[in-house]
Amino acid sequence: MPGDRIESIKSLFTAKSAKVETNKGEQYYQKLYAQCRARLDKLKSMAPVGSNIKIKEVIEEEGVNRRDFLKWASATTAMLMLPASFTPLVAEAATLMNRVPVIWIELQDCAGNSEALLRSDGPKIDEILLDIISLEFHETLMAPSGHQAEKQLEDAVKTFKGKYILFVEGSVPMGIDGHFGTIGAKAETFIEHLTKLANDAAAVVAVGSCATFGGVPAAAPNPTDAKGVMEVVQGKPIVNIPACPANPSNMVGVLLHYVLTGQLPELDSLLRPKFAFGYRIHDNCERRAHFDAGEFVEEWGDEGAKNNFCLYKMGCKGPMTFNNCSIIRYNEGVNWPVGVGRGCIGCSEPDFWDKYAYERPMANANIKAPTGGVEKSVDEFGLGLLTAAGIGIGIHAAASAIAGKKDNQGEA
Amino acid sequence: MKKGYKKVERMTGAMRLIHWVNFFSMIVAIATGLYIAAPYYQTLIAEPAVNKYVMAWNRWGHFIVAIIFDVTSIVVAYLYFFSRFEKPYKKVLPTAKNIKEFFAVLMNLITLNRSKNFDSSHSDSFNTVYFTIFHLLLAWMLFTGLQLYVHGLESGQSSIGTWWPALLHLATDWTIPVSHALVGSSGGVATIMDVRISHHATMWLIIVWVVFHIYYQVWRTIFWQEGDIAIAFGGSKFVKENDKAQS
Repeated sequence: MPGDRIESIKSLFTAKSAKVETNKGEQYYQKLYAQCRARLDKLKSMAPVGSNIKIKEVIEEEGVNRRDFLKWASATTAMLMLPASFTPLVAEAATLMNRVPVIWIELQDCAGNSEALLRSDGPKIDEILLDIISLEFHETLMAPSGHQAEKQLEDAVKTFKGKYILFVEGSVPMGIDGHFGTIGAKAETFIEHLTKLANDAAAVVAVGSCATFGGVPAAAPNPTDAKGVMEVVQGKPIVNIPACPANPSNMVGVLLHYVLTGQLPELDSLLRPKFAFGYRIHDNCERRAHFDAGEFVEEWGDEGAKNNFCLYKMGCKGPMTFNNCSIIRYNEGVNWPVGVGRGCIGCSEPDFWDKYAYERPMANANIKAPTGGVEKSVDEFGLGLLTAAGIGIGIHAAASAIAGKKDNQGEA
Repeated sequence: MKKGYKKVERMTGAMRLIHWVNFFSMIVAIATGLYIAAPYYQTLIAEPAVNKYVMAWNRWGHFIVAIIFDVTSIVVAYLYFFSRFEKPYKKVLPTAKNIKEFFAVLMNLITLNRSKNFDSSHSDSFNTVYFTIFHLLLAWMLFTGLQLYVHGLESGQSSIGTWWPALLHLATDWTIPVSHALVGSSGGVATIMDVRISHHATMWLIIVWVVFHIYYQVWRTIFWQEGDIAIAFGGSKFVKENDKAQS
């Protein structure tokens, strides 16, 4: 297919790379504001789907006062890279989040992203919102099982056809026609399950590293031929929210952006929202000054570790990882990996288990050499090649020294 | 001058300048690059952080020599086609004459100087192909290096304007999928780590290249007896007068 080839070459040079525009100009935001206002008014007039809970009341019941809620709203506005004037709109959108039906499915995964929502100590606003959005189907959370669960899913798809947002957690095993993973009483393969539900969705949100890039199941040797959602689902808007687990703030951010504007946020070349994945962890890291100074933790518990030195020599992958952990942290700013003294393992990048998570500097890591197959580090490979060249040169030099003399004797 | 020999110019002043600038830049690039990959010496822990800027200086040095490499590469690329001295591209084209010369020089190396059926008064096809490999490796280092560099310019701003990160993205984003193809993966999605791995691995290829290059020039000097090593310093070497007739 020459057309495809031309397209793929074109895409090499027009990749929507990680450039982030934090200020798009007065005119743009005025227009967007009007658009959001109209959208929220329309949603307000609609009845909430499913249960008739009032989000404001639920939030108050969970012990979050109005002031905290507004603090959250302004922080979320900033996270979404919108001007401060959007704060009231964001707060309003949060209370209207149950107008958008959500179906959440699990594929080949550990349910870690659902766990991230559920297991936080005292739910934060992000988690509360994700608890009370109109979650029509969620295998881990719902009471019914077997045929009843399937019935519920069918009903939800029928009722909200073309309107629901499909959240996918977990990778898709492509090996042996997808039979590594089946679900339900009819033993549907994950591939069928996903493509069927994606067809009727308004948009697909892949949550966590598995659903986005294959994650841990896709790590070498990838026995199930695990792939991310974007390599299986065609012709649907897809948003990737990688990380292991994905930050609930970013899940809410994407959903909130959809409620607020009726559109998905701006994405980069890996379909990640730029508001969350536009910046490198390294560039907003609280330990960055120690990196520049050359102050590194040399081993766990040493003087450097006690002084919060840079974790680069312990294998921190902050310089190679795009995510907003270092800005918004986890659990509403409580802490994050580098903050607790562990290096970043690059969990939001493709192939993270093989290429990022070895907790050593890259130069000491066992990564696949260009020769493929055998696992050995680039440095060992390079040194091996250098030794081979050295031996070759040595042999040649020795042979030349002997043969060269003979040659001279012959001439003389 | 020894009788029966004549002097031939092989490198112009500009070429020698580029050679030694590259020599210096490469040592700095490798020393600082290895530190950036895995900091191999420690800073004094008792010294206040404001006084040390070790990683930052290493990165600064690495980027400065990278920019110098950029500029010399552009000059070299120009000279490949438009030099008024010798146009190296003419020696790289796979013409019958070049292929014959390439294998003649290769045979000279393999047979330990037993056969020497080519004109050694000008730059030969074998050496020019070898230099071209170097320049391609270097070009790959420049593109992957600039890709790694632009990761720190997420805002699209730089001290010299927004055009520079934009240009870097346009010129180097293709290295991500190409590095991915070189490095390989089990998940199938290209990552910026592939660029870093490839950048690091290519350093070793260049070191291997340099080792053979130095060996081969010294070997030529010893066995050809034409003072080849002097080319890089004085710009000229010597060839036997009667050799001229042979070619």
